[in-house]
Amino acid sequence: MNRQNKPAFGPAILLALGVGLIAMSVIMLAAQNQGGEGFAFSAGSGFGGRLSVAFITGLTTGGLSCLAVQGGLLASSLAHQIEQDYAGPVRHKRGKKDKLVHPQHTNTALPIGLFLLAKLVAYTLLGFLLGWAGSFLTLSPLTRALLMIAIGIFMVGNALRMFNVHPIFRYFSIEPPKFITRYIRRTAKGTDTFTPLFLGALTVFIPCGVTQAMMAAALATGNSLSGGLLMLAFTLGTSPVFFIVAYLTTELGARTEKFFMRFVAVAVLILGLVTLDGGLNLMGSPLSFQNLSRSLLPPESPASVQISSSLPNSQGAATLYVENDGYFPQTLRLAANSPITLSLITDATYSCARDFVIPALGFYQLLPDTGTVQVKIPAQPSGTRMFFTCSMGMYTGMIIFE
Amino acid sequence: MKKQTFSVPDMSCTNCAMKLESLEDDLDGVREINASYHKLQMTVEFDESKLTVEQIIAAVKKKGYSAVPA
Repeated sequence: MNRQNKPAFGPAILLALGVGLIAMSVIMLAAQNQGGEGFAFSAGSGFGGRLSVAFITGLTTGGLSCLAVQGGLLASSLAHQIEQDYAGPVRHKRGKKDKLVHPQHTNTALPIGLFLLAKLVAYTLLGFLLGWAGSFLTLSPLTRALLMIAIGIFMVGNALRMFNVHPIFRYFSIEPPKFITRYIRRTAKGTDTFTPLFLGALTVFIPCGVTQAMMAAALATGNSLSGGLLMLAFTLGTSPVFFIVAYLTTELGARTEKFFMRFVAVAVLILGLVTLDGGLNLMGSPLSFQNLSRSLLPPESPASVQISSSLPNSQGAATLYVENDGYFPQTLRLAANSPITLSLITDATYSCARDFVIPALGFYQLLPDTGTVQVKIPAQPSGTRMFFTCSMGMYTGMIIFE
Repeated sequence: MKKQTFSVPDMSCTNCAMKLESLEDDLDGVREINASYHKLQMTVEFDESKLTVEQIIAAVKKKGYSAVPA
């Protein structure tokens, strides 16, 4: 088909795509507010809640992080189109007079859409494979913590690279092998439909830090369907931001891109620090930001002060409420030098707070969404601080033995 | 065939290296280009009878970068 005869993808189609993606986001957000019950694929496991968390992670952080890492592939897929569109005015002879004809500007919405569609399919398949592989192995909280710390360092290094802090940070950017880049480059000169589809699928080889964390989560599901759905929800979440920003940067030009890259660098830096902090939480390290602030600062909110229900009774028992937004109370003060039975109570809890970890004890259990699980804590000397967290290092708390 | 290394200080990502390597397809007389974002360098293997260093520098400039023979 002649380039001039190609259909132009005007603002209406772009708007429809954007509205569609945002509508999906709203539906998923609404589902999360309902406790994710509508998406409970695994009966009684609250897996829908996890899908919502994965989607929101993609929507809020994954999109930017992925764009920072995979933007190059998207740019390659758009390069040919843009090169054609902006090849410059063509001089056509008309008798003795030359006439300047500007080529029709084809919108980049379609290739971006195709790129994202292929990415969605590829990552869903990857999640399927990871879940299947995960059925043969289990990631311990320590392994997951080390993975998160490594990912956090990778993300912080990438952010510092984007800020041009020091040449050493350039090595945080992975250079694909020459034969792959050559193959991608030659493919990018192919047909307009195939190129973005193919390059979108290739993004599985260059996952961003947040994506890698989600891949670890897919592996941890130990189920191919759950792994596939988790990656689908996450990748779907990354799509609106990816789409909007990629469209704006390709349409608005280099100046916007420069501004945007600064914005992405800040976002990736924050995300990297959060991931690093999550890894430290999961290791039970007192050096994580949350544990450090909890140890150094006096409790301010009612959630972090000692409440009567958490006091150990004469039999050495205490209660911790595991809710969708964390643990209550966040700080438990228990008697030293005597064993304690800690009751973990869940009531329609679907968030990752259910994946309860006490790193110092090597205790890790996925709690039922509603019910009580008891943990036997051996006697601890006075002054011991024992940290507990969810398996993602997001929700945390501390037990002080005194 | 001549091998010439250039310093390209304004590369900002691995995609820049990919863009520079695409000159392989654009410039007649080029046998191979290896660009590295990590080193901010590119090495061009080319036929001196068909291409000059100045022409390579001009082509790099056209891509939006500046190349200086190392």
